[in-house]
Amino acid sequence: MARPSWISQAARIAWKDLHIEGRSREVVYTMGFMAALVVLVFSFAFISGQENTVGPDAVAGILWVAVLFSGTVALSRSFDRERESEAIRSLLLSPVPRSAIYAGKLAATAAMMFLVELLLAPLLAALFSAGIWPHALWLSLLLMLGTIGFCSVGVIFSAALLRARSRDALLGALLFPIVIPVLLAASRATAYLLDPAAPDLDPALFWTRFLAALDVVFVVVGLWSFEPVVMGE
Amino acid sequence: MIYVALAYGFIWGAVFTYVLLVGRRVARINAEIEDLRRRVKLGS
Amino acid sequence: MLSPMSSRRNSSTAFIVGLLLTMLGFFVVPLLVAMAPLERTMGLVQKIFYFHVPCAWLLMLSTFVCAAGSLAYLFRGSERGDRLALCSAELGVLFGLCVMVTGPLWARAAWGAFWTWDVRLTSSLLLWLMLIAYGLARRYGGANGRRLAAAMALFAAADVPLVYLSVNIWRGLHPTTKVVSSLAPGMRTPFFFSLAIFSALWGVLLALRMRVEGAQAQLVELALTVEDAEEKSP
Repeated sequence: MARPSWISQAARIAWKDLHIEGRSREVVYTMGFMAALVVLVFSFAFISGQENTVGPDAVAGILWVAVLFSGTVALSRSFDRERESEAIRSLLLSPVPRSAIYAGKLAATAAMMFLVELLLAPLLAALFSAGIWPHALWLSLLLMLGTIGFCSVGVIFSAALLRARSRDALLGALLFPIVIPVLLAASRATAYLLDPAAPDLDPALFWTRFLAALDVVFVVVGLWSFEPVVMGE
Repeated sequence: MIYVALAYGFIWGAVFTYVLLVGRRVARINAEIEDLRRRVKLGS
Repeated sequence: MLSPMSSRRNSSTAFIVGLLLTMLGFFVVPLLVAMAPLERTMGLVQKIFYFHVPCAWLLMLSTFVCAAGSLAYLFRGSERGDRLALCSAELGVLFGLCVMVTGPLWARAAWGAFWTWDVRLTSSLLLWLMLIAYGLARRYGGANGRRLAAAMALFAAADVPLVYLSVNIWRGLHPTTKVVSSLAPGMRTPFFFSLAIFSALWGVLLALRMRVEGAQAQLVELALTVEDAEEKSP
Protein backbone atom coordinates (compact mmCIF):
# COMPACT_ATOMS: atom_id res chain seq x y z
CA MET A 1 0.00 0.00 0.00
CA ALA A 2 1.39 3.37 -0.95
CA ARG A 3 2.34 5.61 1.94
CA PRO A 4 -0.27 8.28 2.52
CA SER A 5 0.84 11.72 1.55
CA TRP A 6 1.76 14.30 4.13
CA ILE A 7 -1.28 16.34 3.32
CA SER A 8 -3.67 13.45 3.65
CA GLN A 9 -2.20 12.56 7.01
CA ALA A 10 -2.52 16.10 8.24
CA ALA A 11 -6.03 16.24 6.88
CA ARG A 12 -6.93 13.04 8.64
CA ILE A 13 -5.75 14.37 11.96
CA ALA A 14 -7.64 17.59 11.43
CA TRP A 15 -10.73 15.67 10.40
CA LYS A 16 -10.52 13.45 13.46
CA ASP A 17 -10.48 16.44 15.75
CA LEU A 18 -13.26 18.21 13.91
CA HIS A 19 -15.33 15.06 13.88
CA ILE A 20 -15.04 14.63 17.63
CA GLU A 21 -15.81 18.28 18.05
CA GLY A 22 -18.79 17.98 15.76
CA ARG A 23 -20.36 15.47 18.09
CA SER A 24 -19.71 17.17 21.40
CA ARG A 25 -19.48 20.76 20.15
CA GLU A 26 -17.69 21.43 23.42
CA VAL A 27 -15.00 23.77 22.21
CA VAL A 28 -17.27 25.82 20.04
CA TYR A 29 -19.78 26.31 22.80
CA THR A 30 -17.30 27.18 25.55
CA MET A 31 -15.18 29.32 23.31
CA GLY A 32 -18.17 31.04 21.81
CA PHE A 33 -19.65 31.76 25.18
CA MET A 34 -16.38 33.11 26.48
CA ALA A 35 -15.91 35.32 23.44
CA ALA A 36 -19.37 36.76 23.80
CA LEU A 37 -18.71 37.37 27.48
CA VAL A 38 -15.49 39.19 26.76
CA VAL A 39 -17.30 41.44 24.33
CA LEU A 40 -19.96 42.16 26.91
CA VAL A 41 -17.42 42.84 29.61
CA PHE A 42 -15.76 45.37 27.34
CA SER A 43 -19.01 47.01 26.49
CA PHE A 44 -19.84 47.44 30.14
CA ALA A 45 -16.36 48.69 30.90
CA PHE A 46 -16.10 51.19 28.07
CA ILE A 47 -19.46 52.55 27.24
CA SER A 48 -20.54 55.49 29.29
CA GLY A 49 -24.11 56.61 29.69
CA GLN A 50 -24.03 59.26 26.98
CA GLU A 51 -22.85 57.50 23.90
CA ASN A 52 -24.21 54.29 22.58
CA THR A 53 -21.19 53.14 20.73
CA VAL A 54 -17.44 53.24 20.40
CA GLY A 55 -15.25 54.06 17.43
CA PRO A 56 -13.97 51.56 14.88
CA ASP A 57 -10.57 51.38 16.56
CA ALA A 58 -12.11 50.20 19.78
CA VAL A 59 -14.47 47.76 18.09
CA ALA A 60 -11.60 46.20 16.20
CA GLY A 61 -9.65 45.96 19.42
CA ILE A 62 -12.52 44.37 21.27
CA LEU A 63 -13.05 41.83 18.53
CA TRP A 64 -9.46 40.72 18.52
CA VAL A 65 -9.03 40.68 22.26
CA ALA A 66 -12.11 38.51 22.48
CA VAL A 67 -10.61 36.22 19.84
CA LEU A 68 -7.35 36.01 21.73
CA PHE A 69 -8.82 35.29 25.12
CA SER A 70 -11.37 32.79 23.95
CA GLY A 71 -8.81 31.29 21.63
CA THR A 72 -6.76 30.14 24.58
CA VAL A 73 -9.78 28.10 25.61
CA ALA A 74 -9.83 26.41 22.23
CA LEU A 75 -6.08 25.84 22.37
CA SER A 76 -5.98 24.25 25.76
CA ARG A 77 -8.82 21.99 24.78
CA SER A 78 -7.19 21.02 21.51
CA PHE A 79 -4.68 18.89 23.32
CA ASP A 80 -6.75 18.19 26.39
CA ARG A 81 -8.42 15.22 24.81
CA GLU A 82 -5.10 13.64 24.02
CA ARG A 83 -3.84 14.39 27.47
CA GLU A 84 -6.73 12.82 29.25
CA SER A 85 -6.60 9.59 27.40
CA GLU A 86 -2.84 9.42 27.00
CA ALA A 87 -3.54 9.41 23.32
CA ILE A 88 -0.67 11.77 22.70
CA ARG A 89 1.78 8.98 23.33
CA SER A 90 0.24 6.66 20.79
CA LEU A 91 0.02 9.52 18.36
CA LEU A 92 3.70 10.21 18.76
CA LEU A 93 4.59 6.55 18.45
CA SER A 94 2.84 6.27 15.13
CA PRO A 95 4.87 6.85 11.99
CA VAL A 96 2.95 10.00 11.19
CA PRO A 97 5.41 12.82 10.60
CA ARG A 98 5.26 15.29 13.45
CA SER A 99 4.83 18.24 11.14
CA ALA A 100 1.68 16.63 9.83
CA ILE A 101 0.36 16.34 13.37
CA TYR A 102 1.13 19.99 13.86
CA ALA A 103 -0.56 20.99 10.64
CA GLY A 104 -3.60 18.89 11.39
CA LYS A 105 -3.98 20.32 14.88
CA LEU A 106 -3.44 23.81 13.56
CA ALA A 107 -6.08 23.39 10.88
CA ALA A 108 -8.64 21.91 13.25
CA THR A 109 -8.18 24.49 15.99
CA ALA A 110 -8.15 27.36 13.52
CA ALA A 111 -11.33 26.05 11.91
CA MET A 112 -13.12 25.87 15.25
CA MET A 113 -12.01 29.35 16.18
CA PHE A 114 -12.99 30.71 12.79
CA LEU A 115 -16.47 29.32 13.15
CA VAL A 116 -16.91 31.12 16.43
CA GLU A 117 -15.47 34.32 14.99
CA LEU A 118 -17.96 34.28 12.14
CA LEU A 119 -20.69 34.37 14.74
CA LEU A 120 -18.87 36.91 16.88
CA ALA A 121 -18.43 39.57 14.23
CA PRO A 122 -22.14 40.07 13.57
CA LEU A 123 -22.68 40.20 17.31
CA LEU A 124 -20.25 43.06 17.51
CA ALA A 125 -21.88 44.73 14.56
CA ALA A 126 -25.17 44.57 16.36
CA LEU A 127 -23.87 45.74 19.72
CA PHE A 128 -21.71 48.58 18.49
CA SER A 129 -23.31 49.46 15.19
CA ALA A 130 -20.06 48.57 13.51
CA GLY A 131 -19.98 48.46 9.74
CA ILE A 132 -18.79 44.95 9.06
CA TRP A 133 -20.80 44.31 5.90
CA PRO A 134 -19.12 46.62 3.35
CA HIS A 135 -15.92 44.62 3.53
CA ALA A 136 -17.25 41.37 4.91
CA LEU A 137 -15.10 39.16 2.70
CA TRP A 138 -11.91 41.00 3.53
CA LEU A 139 -12.83 40.91 7.17
CA SER A 140 -13.29 37.17 6.99
CA LEU A 141 -9.88 36.88 5.41
CA LEU A 142 -8.39 38.90 8.24
CA LEU A 143 -10.11 36.71 10.79
CA MET A 144 -8.72 33.62 9.10
CA LEU A 145 -5.20 35.03 8.87
CA GLY A 146 -5.18 36.25 12.44
CA THR A 147 -6.51 32.95 13.71
CA ILE A 148 -3.88 31.02 11.81
CA GLY A 149 -1.17 33.22 13.24
CA PHE A 150 -2.51 32.79 16.73
CA CYS A 151 -2.92 29.03 16.46
CA SER A 152 0.42 28.48 14.78
CA VAL A 153 2.14 29.54 17.97
CA GLY A 154 -0.55 28.33 20.31
CA VAL A 155 -0.56 24.72 19.15
CA ILE A 156 3.11 24.35 19.98
CA PHE A 157 2.82 25.93 23.37
CA SER A 158 -0.27 23.97 24.23
CA ALA A 159 1.42 20.73 23.24
CA ALA A 160 4.54 21.58 25.19
CA LEU A 161 2.60 22.44 28.30
CA LEU A 162 0.62 19.21 28.29
CA ARG A 163 2.11 17.93 31.47
CA ALA A 164 3.09 21.12 33.23
CA ARG A 165 1.37 21.87 36.46
CA SER A 166 0.79 25.55 35.88
CA ARG A 167 -0.45 24.84 32.38
CA ASP A 168 -3.48 27.06 32.27
CA ALA A 169 -1.80 29.99 33.93
CA LEU A 170 1.20 29.73 31.69
CA LEU A 171 -0.42 29.28 28.31
CA GLY A 172 -1.77 32.81 28.13
CA ALA A 173 1.28 34.37 29.73
CA LEU A 174 3.63 32.75 27.27
CA LEU A 175 1.46 33.04 24.23
CA PHE A 176 0.39 36.65 24.34
CA PRO A 177 3.75 38.41 24.07
CA ILE A 178 4.63 36.38 21.00
CA VAL A 179 1.24 36.83 19.43
CA ILE A 180 0.85 40.57 20.01
CA PRO A 181 2.24 41.47 16.59
CA VAL A 182 -0.51 39.30 15.08
CA LEU A 183 -3.05 41.07 17.24
CA LEU A 184 -1.61 44.42 16.26
CA ALA A 185 -1.66 43.82 12.54
CA ALA A 186 -5.08 42.23 12.58
CA SER A 187 -6.75 44.88 14.70
CA ARG A 188 -5.18 47.75 12.77
CA ALA A 189 -6.38 46.31 9.50
CA THR A 190 -9.81 45.61 10.94
CA ALA A 191 -10.06 49.14 12.31
CA TYR A 192 -9.46 50.61 8.88
CA LEU A 193 -12.01 48.32 7.33
CA LEU A 194 -14.61 49.20 9.92
CA ASP A 195 -14.07 52.92 9.64
CA PRO A 196 -16.62 54.45 7.31
CA ALA A 197 -14.64 57.68 7.21
CA ALA A 198 -11.35 56.15 6.09
CA PRO A 199 -10.05 57.93 2.96
CA ASP A 200 -8.54 54.84 1.40
CA LEU A 201 -7.77 51.29 2.30
CA ASP A 202 -4.02 51.34 1.79
CA PRO A 203 -3.22 50.98 5.48
CA ALA A 204 -5.57 48.03 5.68
CA LEU A 205 -3.79 46.45 2.73
CA PHE A 206 -0.44 47.04 4.34
CA TRP A 207 -1.48 45.44 7.60
CA THR A 208 -3.09 42.52 5.83
CA ARG A 209 0.12 41.85 3.96
CA PHE A 210 2.09 42.20 7.16
CA LEU A 211 -0.23 39.73 8.86
CA ALA A 212 0.15 37.28 6.02
CA ALA A 213 3.94 37.57 6.26
CA LEU A 214 3.78 36.94 9.98
CA ASP A 215 1.65 33.89 9.37
CA VAL A 216 4.08 32.44 6.91
CA VAL A 217 6.99 32.96 9.29
CA PHE A 218 5.15 31.55 12.27
CA VAL A 219 3.83 28.49 10.49
CA VAL A 220 7.27 27.72 9.13
CA VAL A 221 8.86 28.07 12.56
CA GLY A 222 6.03 26.01 13.98
CA LEU A 223 6.37 23.19 11.47
CA TRP A 224 10.05 23.13 12.17
CA SER A 225 10.03 23.23 15.92
CA PHE A 226 6.99 21.12 16.75
CA GLU A 227 8.89 17.87 16.73
CA PRO A 228 11.84 18.77 18.95
CA VAL A 229 9.60 20.52 21.43
CA VAL A 230 7.06 17.75 21.76
CA MET A 231 9.52 14.89 21.56
CA GLY A 232 10.67 15.81 25.01
CA GLU A 233 7.44 14.44 26.36
CA MET B 1 19.83 67.61 33.32
CA ILE B 2 18.60 65.36 36.00
CA TYR B 3 17.01 62.93 33.57
CA VAL B 4 20.34 62.12 32.02
CA ALA B 5 21.87 61.45 35.40
CA LEU B 6 18.92 59.30 36.42
CA ALA B 7 19.05 57.30 33.23
CA TYR B 8 22.74 56.74 33.42
CA GLY B 9 22.67 55.96 37.11
CA PHE B 10 19.94 53.43 36.62
CA ILE B 11 21.77 51.54 33.92
CA TRP B 12 24.91 51.17 35.92
CA GLY B 13 22.99 50.44 39.06
CA ALA B 14 21.22 47.63 37.27
CA VAL B 15 24.39 46.25 35.73
CA PHE B 16 26.23 46.41 39.03
CA THR B 17 23.41 44.68 40.83
CA TYR B 18 23.43 41.96 38.21
CA VAL B 19 27.17 41.45 38.54
CA LEU B 20 26.84 41.29 42.30
CA LEU B 21 24.05 38.73 42.05
CA VAL B 22 26.18 36.64 39.75
CA GLY B 23 29.00 37.01 42.24
CA ARG B 24 26.78 35.59 44.95
CA ARG B 25 26.04 32.65 42.72
CA VAL B 26 29.74 32.11 42.19
CA ALA B 27 30.30 32.15 45.94
CA ARG B 28 27.58 29.58 46.41
CA ILE B 29 29.03 27.32 43.76
CA ASN B 30 32.46 27.60 45.32
CA ALA B 31 31.02 26.68 48.69
CA GLU B 32 29.42 23.60 47.21
CA ILE B 33 32.67 22.62 45.54
CA GLU B 34 34.40 22.92 48.90
CA ASP B 35 31.76 20.72 50.41
CA LEU B 36 32.21 18.12 47.70
CA ARG B 37 35.95 18.12 48.13
CA ARG B 38 35.54 17.49 51.81
CA ARG B 39 33.25 14.60 51.18
CA VAL B 40 35.62 13.11 48.65
CA LYS B 41 38.48 13.40 51.17
CA LEU B 42 36.43 11.70 53.86
CA GLY B 43 35.49 8.90 51.54
CA SER B 44 38.89 8.10 50.09
CA MET C 1 37.18 18.08 32.23
CA LEU C 2 38.07 20.79 34.68
CA SER C 3 38.82 19.71 38.19
CA PRO C 4 36.72 21.41 40.85
CA MET C 5 39.61 23.51 42.02
CA SER C 6 40.50 25.12 38.73
CA SER C 7 36.86 25.54 37.88
CA ARG C 8 36.44 27.54 41.03
CA ARG C 9 39.40 29.69 40.30
CA ASN C 10 38.11 30.31 36.80
CA SER C 11 34.74 31.43 38.03
CA SER C 12 36.16 33.77 40.60
CA THR C 13 38.66 35.27 38.21
CA ALA C 14 36.04 35.77 35.58
CA PHE C 15 33.84 37.43 38.12
CA ILE C 16 36.53 39.85 39.20
CA VAL C 17 37.40 40.68 35.64
CA GLY C 18 33.75 41.31 34.91
CA LEU C 19 33.44 43.58 37.91
CA LEU C 20 36.51 45.58 37.00
CA LEU C 21 35.46 46.06 33.42
CA THR C 22 32.05 47.18 34.54
CA MET C 23 33.57 49.81 36.78
CA LEU C 24 35.90 50.91 34.03
CA GLY C 25 33.07 51.31 31.59
CA PHE C 26 31.14 53.27 34.14
CA PHE C 27 33.79 55.93 34.21
CA VAL C 28 34.73 56.01 30.58
CA VAL C 29 31.35 56.46 29.00
CA PRO C 30 30.38 59.75 30.68
CA LEU C 31 33.63 61.25 29.52
CA LEU C 32 32.82 60.40 25.96
CA VAL C 33 29.30 61.61 26.27
CA ALA C 34 30.34 64.90 27.78
CA MET C 35 32.69 65.46 24.88
CA ALA C 36 29.92 65.10 22.32
CA PRO C 37 28.36 68.27 20.93
CA LEU C 38 24.94 69.37 22.08
CA GLU C 39 22.08 68.46 19.80
CA ARG C 40 20.12 71.35 18.39
CA THR C 41 16.54 70.74 19.37
CA MET C 42 16.70 68.64 22.46
CA GLY C 43 19.80 69.89 24.19
CA LEU C 44 21.33 68.04 27.07
CA VAL C 45 18.60 65.43 27.31
CA GLN C 46 19.51 64.02 23.94
CA LYS C 47 22.60 62.56 25.57
CA ILE C 48 20.46 59.79 26.92
CA PHE C 49 20.49 58.58 23.35
CA TYR C 50 24.09 57.46 23.86
CA PHE C 51 23.08 54.82 26.34
CA HIS C 52 19.49 54.20 25.41
CA VAL C 53 20.22 53.07 21.88
CA PRO C 54 23.09 50.74 22.78
CA CYS C 55 20.85 49.12 25.38
CA ALA C 56 18.13 48.62 22.79
CA TRP C 57 20.68 47.18 20.42
CA LEU C 58 21.88 44.81 23.12
CA LEU C 59 18.31 43.76 23.80
CA MET C 60 17.95 42.72 20.19
CA LEU C 61 21.35 41.08 20.10
CA SER C 62 20.49 39.09 23.20
CA THR C 63 17.30 37.89 21.57
CA PHE C 64 19.10 36.65 18.51
CA VAL C 65 21.82 34.94 20.51
CA CYS C 66 19.13 33.34 22.65
CA ALA C 67 17.41 32.08 19.53
CA ALA C 68 20.69 30.75 18.15
CA GLY C 69 21.37 28.86 21.35
CA SER C 70 17.81 27.59 21.35
CA LEU C 71 18.20 26.35 17.80
CA ALA C 72 21.30 24.41 18.75
CA TYR C 73 19.54 23.00 21.78
CA LEU C 74 16.35 22.00 20.01
CA PHE C 75 17.82 20.56 16.87
CA ARG C 76 21.15 19.23 18.01
CA GLY C 77 20.58 18.62 21.67
CA SER C 78 23.38 20.96 22.59
CA GLU C 79 23.40 21.62 26.31
CA ARG C 80 25.83 24.41 25.76
CA GLY C 81 23.37 25.99 23.38
CA ASP C 82 20.75 25.82 26.06
CA ARG C 83 23.09 27.51 28.51
CA LEU C 84 23.85 30.19 25.97
CA ALA C 85 20.15 30.77 25.47
CA LEU C 86 19.59 31.10 29.20
CA CYS C 87 22.45 33.51 29.76
CA SER C 88 21.66 35.74 26.83
CA ALA C 89 17.99 35.83 27.80
CA GLU C 90 19.02 37.03 31.24
CA LEU C 91 21.17 39.75 29.75
CA GLY C 92 18.33 40.65 27.43
CA VAL C 93 16.03 41.13 30.38
CA LEU C 94 18.66 43.23 32.11
CA PHE C 95 19.34 45.54 29.19
CA GLY C 96 15.69 45.54 28.26
CA LEU C 97 14.99 46.90 31.71
CA CYS C 98 17.48 49.65 31.00
CA VAL C 99 15.75 50.46 27.72
CA MET C 100 12.38 50.55 29.39
CA VAL C 101 13.61 52.97 32.03
CA THR C 102 15.79 55.25 29.91
CA GLY C 103 13.28 55.39 27.07
CA PRO C 104 10.45 56.91 29.08
CA LEU C 105 12.89 59.20 30.83
CA TRP C 106 14.00 60.51 27.47
CA ALA C 107 10.43 60.70 26.25
CA ARG C 108 9.36 62.60 29.30
CA ALA C 109 12.14 65.12 29.02
CA ALA C 110 11.88 65.53 25.26
CA TRP C 111 8.18 65.23 24.53
CA GLY C 112 6.42 65.54 27.86
CA ALA C 113 4.89 62.09 28.09
CA PHE C 114 6.39 59.04 29.70
CA TRP C 115 5.02 56.70 27.11
CA THR C 116 4.01 57.13 23.52
CA TRP C 117 2.60 54.15 21.72
CA ASP C 118 5.01 54.39 18.89
CA VAL C 119 6.46 51.39 17.21
CA ARG C 120 10.02 51.36 18.37
CA LEU C 121 9.35 51.68 22.06
CA THR C 122 6.43 49.30 21.82
CA SER C 123 8.37 46.66 19.96
CA SER C 124 11.19 46.92 22.47
CA LEU C 125 8.66 46.39 25.21
CA LEU C 126 7.30 43.34 23.41
CA LEU C 127 10.74 41.88 22.98
CA TRP C 128 11.47 42.42 26.63
CA LEU C 129 8.21 40.75 27.59
CA MET C 130 9.06 37.80 25.39
CA LEU C 131 12.37 37.33 27.12
CA ILE C 132 10.68 37.51 30.51
CA ALA C 133 8.18 34.94 29.31
CA TYR C 134 11.16 32.84 28.23
CA GLY C 135 12.36 32.84 31.81
CA LEU C 136 8.91 31.91 33.08
CA ALA C 137 8.65 29.06 30.62
CA ARG C 138 11.98 27.67 31.75
CA ARG C 139 11.14 27.87 35.41
CA TYR C 140 7.52 26.86 35.50
CA GLY C 141 7.01 25.01 32.27
CA GLY C 142 7.39 21.63 33.88
CA ALA C 143 9.69 18.91 32.68
CA ASN C 144 9.56 20.23 29.16
CA GLY C 145 10.13 23.82 30.15
CA ARG C 146 13.46 24.26 28.46
CA ARG C 147 12.23 23.08 25.11
CA LEU C 148 9.13 25.21 25.31
CA ALA C 149 11.26 28.20 26.17
CA ALA C 150 13.55 27.41 23.27
CA ALA C 151 10.58 27.39 20.88
CA MET C 152 9.52 30.74 22.32
CA ALA C 153 12.93 32.15 21.61
CA LEU C 154 12.62 31.09 17.99
CA PHE C 155 9.28 32.81 17.60
CA ALA C 156 10.55 35.90 19.35
CA ALA C 157 13.52 36.15 17.03
CA ALA C 158 11.21 35.78 14.05
CA ASP C 159 9.03 38.57 15.40
CA VAL C 160 11.85 41.06 15.77
CA PRO C 161 12.89 41.77 12.18
CA LEU C 162 9.30 42.01 11.00
CA VAL C 163 8.32 44.51 13.62
CA TYR C 164 11.57 46.38 13.13
CA LEU C 165 10.97 46.74 9.41
CA SER C 166 7.50 48.08 10.00
CA VAL C 167 9.08 51.04 11.77
CA ASN C 168 9.97 52.59 8.47
CA ILE C 169 6.46 52.40 7.22
CA TRP C 170 4.48 53.15 10.32
CA ARG C 171 5.90 56.38 11.55
CA GLY C 172 5.65 57.54 15.08
CA LEU C 173 7.32 60.09 17.30
CA HIS C 174 10.33 57.85 17.39
CA PRO C 175 13.14 58.60 15.00
CA THR C 176 13.23 56.18 12.11
CA THR C 177 15.98 53.67 11.60
CA LYS C 178 17.95 56.14 9.56
CA VAL C 179 18.91 58.17 12.59
CA VAL C 180 22.29 56.61 13.11
CA SER C 181 23.60 57.22 9.64
CA SER C 182 22.39 60.78 9.74
CA LEU C 183 24.18 61.65 12.94
CA ALA C 184 26.34 64.74 12.87
CA PRO C 185 30.01 63.72 12.60
CA GLY C 186 30.88 65.06 16.01
CA MET C 187 28.30 62.78 17.54
CA ARG C 188 29.21 59.71 15.63
CA THR C 189 32.42 58.91 17.45
CA PRO C 190 31.08 59.03 20.99
CA PHE C 191 28.06 57.08 19.88
CA PHE C 192 30.05 54.28 18.35
CA PHE C 193 32.43 54.28 21.25
CA SER C 194 29.56 54.01 23.64
CA LEU C 195 28.07 51.26 21.55
CA ALA C 196 31.40 49.46 21.52
CA ILE C 197 31.84 49.72 25.26
CA PHE C 198 28.36 48.56 25.99
CA SER C 199 28.75 45.68 23.58
CA ALA C 200 32.02 44.73 25.19
CA LEU C 201 30.31 44.85 28.55
CA TRP C 202 27.60 42.60 27.20
CA GLY C 203 30.18 40.18 25.88
CA VAL C 204 32.01 40.08 29.18
CA LEU C 205 28.83 39.56 31.16
CA LEU C 206 27.78 36.81 28.80
CA ALA C 207 31.12 35.05 29.09
CA LEU C 208 31.03 35.39 32.84
CA ARG C 209 27.52 34.08 33.09
CA MET C 210 28.27 31.22 30.74
CA ARG C 211 31.22 30.23 32.85
CA VAL C 212 29.09 30.22 35.95
CA GLU C 213 26.45 28.14 34.24
CA GLY C 214 29.07 25.73 32.97
CA ALA C 215 30.53 25.42 36.46
CA GLN C 216 27.07 24.78 37.78
CA ALA C 217 26.51 21.99 35.29
CA GLN C 218 29.83 20.38 36.15
CA LEU C 219 29.04 20.73 39.81
CA VAL C 220 25.81 18.82 39.38
CA GLU C 221 27.64 16.05 37.55
CA LEU C 222 30.31 15.86 40.23
CA ALA C 223 27.78 15.87 43.03
CA LEU C 224 25.98 12.97 41.44
CA THR C 225 29.23 11.02 41.06
CA VAL C 226 30.18 11.66 44.65
CA GLU C 227 26.77 10.59 45.88
CA ASP C 228 26.99 7.44 43.84
CA ALA C 229 30.42 6.70 45.23
CA GLU C 230 29.24 7.32 48.78
CA GLU C 231 26.35 4.98 48.34
CA LYS C 232 28.53 2.22 47.08
CA SER C 233 31.09 2.42 49.89
CA PRO C 234 29.38 3.37 53.14
